[in-house]
Amino acid sequence: MLGILKKMGQEEEVVIEVEAVQSVYGDDCFVLDFFPPHLHIHMKPRTADVSSQQFVEAVIDIRAGPQYPQEPPCIDLIESKGLDERRQKDLMNTIRDKAHKLSSSLMLVAICEEAVERLSDMNHPDGDCPLCLCPLASEDKQDKILPFMKLMSCFHCFHSECIIRWWRWLHTERETSVKDSSSAMETKEGMHGVMETSMGYCPVCRKVFHAEDFEHVLDLVGTHSFQMKSNGTEVIDADSLLQSDTENIRRQKFEAILKLQQENSGLIEPKRDLLIQPGMFLPQAVSIPAAKILEQTTKQHQRDPAVHSESINGSSSKRPSTSKHRNSGTRQQRPHPRQPVRQWIKKENGAAT
Amino acid sequence: MSSTSATARKALSKIACNRLQKELVEWQLNPPSGFKHKVTDNLQRWVVEVNGAQGTLYTNETFQLQVDFPEHYPMEAPQVVFLNPAPLHPHIYSNGHICLDILYDSWSPAITVSSICISILSMLSSSTVKQRPEDNDRYVKNCRNGRSPKETRWWFHDDKV
Repeated sequence: MLGILKKMGQEEEVVIEVEAVQSVYGDDCFVLDFFPPHLHIHMKPRTADVSSQQFVEAVIDIRAGPQYPQEPPCIDLIESKGLDERRQKDLMNTIRDKAHKLSSSLMLVAICEEAVERLSDMNHPDGDCPLCLCPLASEDKQDKILPFMKLMSCFHCFHSECIIRWWRWLHTERETSVKDSSSAMETKEGMHGVMETSMGYCPVCRKVFHAEDFEHVLDLVGTHSFQMKSNGTEVIDADSLLQSDTENIRRQKFEAILKLQQENSGLIEPKRDLLIQPGMFLPQAVSIPAAKILEQTTKQHQRDPAVHSESINGSSSKRPSTSKHRNSGTRQQRPHPRQPVRQWIKKENGAAT
Repeated sequence: MSSTSATARKALSKIACNRLQKELVEWQLNPPSGFKHKVTDNLQRWVVEVNGAQGTLYTNETFQLQVDFPEHYPMEAPQVVFLNPAPLHPHIYSNGHICLDILYDSWSPAITVSSICISILSMLSSSTVKQRPEDNDRYVKNCRNGRSPKETRWWFHDDKV
């Protein structure tokens, strides 16, 4: 009898855990079963939700048996973008290792965070630009690397300059073919003829893309004079961006994560190597109650003795800043050129108070 | 005389040069099987030897492809023709012009010489009959004054061969 009660209690705990995952990942989490847990999670790297800076993503299947958490769940990769075979393997190994290490404790949130962490480390395109055949990104920071970008729909990556050159080529070609309507026009029918002026197609997979797809990199390549064609829908002003649905959803998502983080005493771990250092100057403190942060840091120490001394220093000297740093450090690695960093701090204050 | 042949004679842009040098290095490291690049000091015109694949109609036959790169390669497609004698094939005219969509309407700057070569070999290999295109004589007569295949309005009606 007692055994059954205990089992029911465990089952309830597991269901609560699944709900926690659900609230962290929102629409990116699809629960097939609460007990034993079976979920699909759409993982994206931490880029402050700036999707144009996400070069990789993965959908992961987590399926636990009735013995969970005594037995770790099976974890499989269902789908991924921007990851070659080597990196897919690496990602899955990391998550499975984590699951084995945490065996017998409730681990769903932790393994998801581990996956996101690993994805964030891998968040750069692989290989060469298909247009100039030069490397897109390099592990070696010494190399001089040109700005690159991805097409939002297919995740194929190019140097920003290269893809914009192609875009312009497509459009000047179209213009000239419209102008001399005779033979040139005829030869350019087919694929080009059916496209609107604000479209291009991916050189790799031929998927159609729009001007918006690289609007975010135009500044980087110094093409201010470059005029968008069509009816000006590409020009997004800051106000409408702040009021847009996607922005509201993003904000809600962030608030949900923060709330969960507070409730779980910092179960969402910060990136380890970005922990606060003594002497680091962080101007604006966030008003998360000090006790919560103390809880967070102590919990962390238990988990990871290696960073013990660093965190002690950090939490004692600049305690209120810890969570601030966490957000600016891990979620804002590559600030969007159109979104000033200040915007983030403001939101966070709003959410925390 | 025509605009395309005029641009083809224009010197390569810096971007085109860089890209072609990359392609050449990659080719030397990893040439497409069945092809041999004839070494010249002319980056703008490649001559490539093609060997018909074993077990196909073109086994033991050797052909030569001439690839001319325009100023704005890879934005613009290169001009690819067979040098005389061109293989007998339903999509290859006796003047060497090749009816292959990726060389014209379906060109994409992500296509390389190496991938063009592979497409052409696969086109040869899948042929079931050695014959000229039906409209060969009419087409070749039209091209008599050195017209480039890139000015042809191609009609790609068959994707099986």
